[in-house]
Amino acid sequence: MAIERSGIVPALLALAACHAAPAAKPLTEAQSAARQPADPHLAALYDGSCRACHTNRDSGAPLSGDHTQWDARWAKGAPVLLQNAVAGYNRMPAGGQCATCTAADYNALIRFMADQPQDQK
Amino acid sequence: MGTTRRALLIGGGVVAAGAAGLAGRRIWLDRDPAALPAVDGSGHLLWQNWSATEHAYPAARLAPASADEAAHLLRTASGPVRTVGAGHSFTGLVPTDATLVSLDRMTGVLGHDAATSQASVAAGTRLYDLGPALAAIGQDMPNLPDINKQSLAGGTQTGTHGTGRAFKAVHGGIVEFDLATTRGEVLTCNATRNPDVFNAARVGLGAFGIMTRFTMQNHALARVKKVTSLRHRDDLMDGWDDLVRNHRNVEFYVIPFSHWGQLITHDETDEPVRPRGPDTDTDGQMKLKSARDLLEFATPLRFWTLDHMIADIPRQVAIDQGWKLLSNERSVRNREIEYHLPRENQIAALREVVAVIERHRSDVFIPVEVRAIAADDAWLSPFYGRDSGSIAVHTYYKDDYRFFFTLIEPILRRHGGRPHWGKLNSLKYDDFAALYPRWKDALAVRDGLDPEGKLLNPYLHGVLRRG
Repeated sequence: MAIERSGIVPALLALAACHAAPAAKPLTEAQSAARQPADPHLAALYDGSCRACHTNRDSGAPLSGDHTQWDARWAKGAPVLLQNAVAGYNRMPAGGQCATCTAADYNALIRFMADQPQDQK
Repeated sequence: MGTTRRALLIGGGVVAAGAAGLAGRRIWLDRDPAALPAVDGSGHLLWQNWSATEHAYPAARLAPASADEAAHLLRTASGPVRTVGAGHSFTGLVPTDATLVSLDRMTGVLGHDAATSQASVAAGTRLYDLGPALAAIGQDMPNLPDINKQSLAGGTQTGTHGTGRAFKAVHGGIVEFDLATTRGEVLTCNATRNPDVFNAARVGLGAFGIMTRFTMQNHALARVKKVTSLRHRDDLMDGWDDLVRNHRNVEFYVIPFSHWGQLITHDETDEPVRPRGPDTDTDGQMKLKSARDLLEFATPLRFWTLDHMIADIPRQVAIDQGWKLLSNERSVRNREIEYHLPRENQIAALREVVAVIERHRSDVFIPVEVRAIAADDAWLSPFYGRDSGSIAVHTYYKDDYRFFFTLIEPILRRHGGRPHWGKLNSLKYDDFAALYPRWKDALAVRDGLDPEGKLLNPYLHGVLRRG
C-alpha cells in the first residue's frame, strides 16, 4: 500500500498545520511603506537608501516587511544576505545605494526589512 | 538504413547539437559576474557603483550634516576626497581609497518662494523625494531624468538631464548654490556673486568642492498626460523634429532588430487623473532578451519575430503630476554610453549607430534612447551653447560593453558629440579641451579652489590634468 494512500501523511500534515504559525500574507505597497525603523539612525539610512526600492513592487525588490518575500531569503543566513547587500546580487545594486552604511547597519537594515528581531546590543 | 534516412538523422543530430551548443553558450554567458569581497584585507567595506563598472574600498566614509561640517571635512580629511550620491554614474568619478563623502544627512526642502516658484533644497536630496516635497509647496521640476534615484548634487554635477525642446538639464534650473571648499570655507554662488565659480562648478564632477545647497527655479505644479505608443522607427526618425516641436517632453527608443520604436510624450492637460499602471518596461526588456537569447544568430527571424511581437502592444496613457510620470523604474542593471550631439546631427548619427549594432552586435537587445535637451551656459555642461540631441546605447550588465569604444563612440564623436559625464566614454583631457570652449577657464577656477588636487582621484587626474 502506498504510504500516501494510507492516510498517515495527510493526518500528519493536518496536525502540523494546527501547530504552525498562520500563513504569511503579502503586504501592499502602502503597508510596506508605512513601516519605519524605530532607531533614528537606522531610520535615516533606510529613508535615504532602502525605502525607494523596497517599498515599490515595480523595482523587483522584496517589499519591506513582507514575509512571503523575505522568509526564503532570510533562510540563507545573515552572512549571505550581508554579502549580497554589499556586493550586489541580481537586481540589487551593490551597497543598496547607502554610501555610509557599516556592516552592522546593513545587518540591522536587513533584519528590519525581513521583519526579524534586531540583535541585542 | 536508406541514404535519405541516414542523412536526415545526421542532419537532425547536427541541428540538435548546434542548438544544445548555443543554449550552453548562452547559459555560460548569462552567469552572474563573480562578486567582489564585501570587505578588503584592511577591513574596509566595498563601495561599488550601480552598474558594477567601478569599485573601491574607502578607508573613511563621512556624512556631514551641514555646510560647515562639509567645509571642515574638506580641510582635514585625507585625499582623494570624493563625494557620492546614489552611485549611478558609470564612469570613475567616485572611487577613492581614502575618503568617501555622502550627502545623505543633508536632505529636504529648506525654504521656498511661492511668487517666483523657487525652492532652496539641501544637496543630498534624492530626486524621488524631491518630487513629492516640491508638490507639497505647489512646485515641480518640469524635467526629470529617466531614473530618479540620483541625489540632486550627483545629478547636477554630472549634467544629468531629461528631455524636451524647451527644457535644460537638471543643472539648468539651478540659480544659486553653496559650495564647501578645501580651504574650509562655504561660498554662495550665483550669476552675480562668485559668478565664475557659479559658471564653472554648476556641472563640476565633484571636483570643485562639496555642493551643500541649491536654489532651484521650478515651475508651478502641473498635470501632464503621458502617452506611450509603438511606431515604425523610420517614422520616428523622419518625424523627430516635428515631435520635438509639438510636445512638451518627448523621447523615443529604437528597438534593435525590429522595425519598431517606442515613442513617449508628456504634455500638460486638464483631463482627470489616470494613474500610471504597474511597470511593464522591465518585463518588455526581458522579452527582448529572450528573443536575443533564442535568435541571436538568426537576424532575419529575430526581425520577423519581434515585428510580430511588438505590433500588438497597445498604447498606454497615464495622467498625473509630472514627477509621478517622467521617471521610471529601471531595475534591469545595464551599462551605458551616451553622447549629446548638435541637434542637426542627431538623426544621421542615430541611423549609423543602429546600422552598426544590427550589423556587428547581435548581443544588444536594450532599446537605443533618443532625447532632446535645451542649451545652457554652465561651462562644463555637455549642452553648453547648443541645443542638443542625445543618443544612448545600453548593454545588459552581464554582457560585454567594450564595443562602445570601438564601434559606437567613433560615430558619436564624428558627429560632434560630447559625452555625458556620468556615462561610459574613453575621453581624456585633450579631447575635452577641444570640445568645451571654456575648458581652461573652468579648470583655472577649479585649481584655485583645490590647488593641491585633494578632490582628484585617478580618473579625474586623466580628465582634468593634461597627461
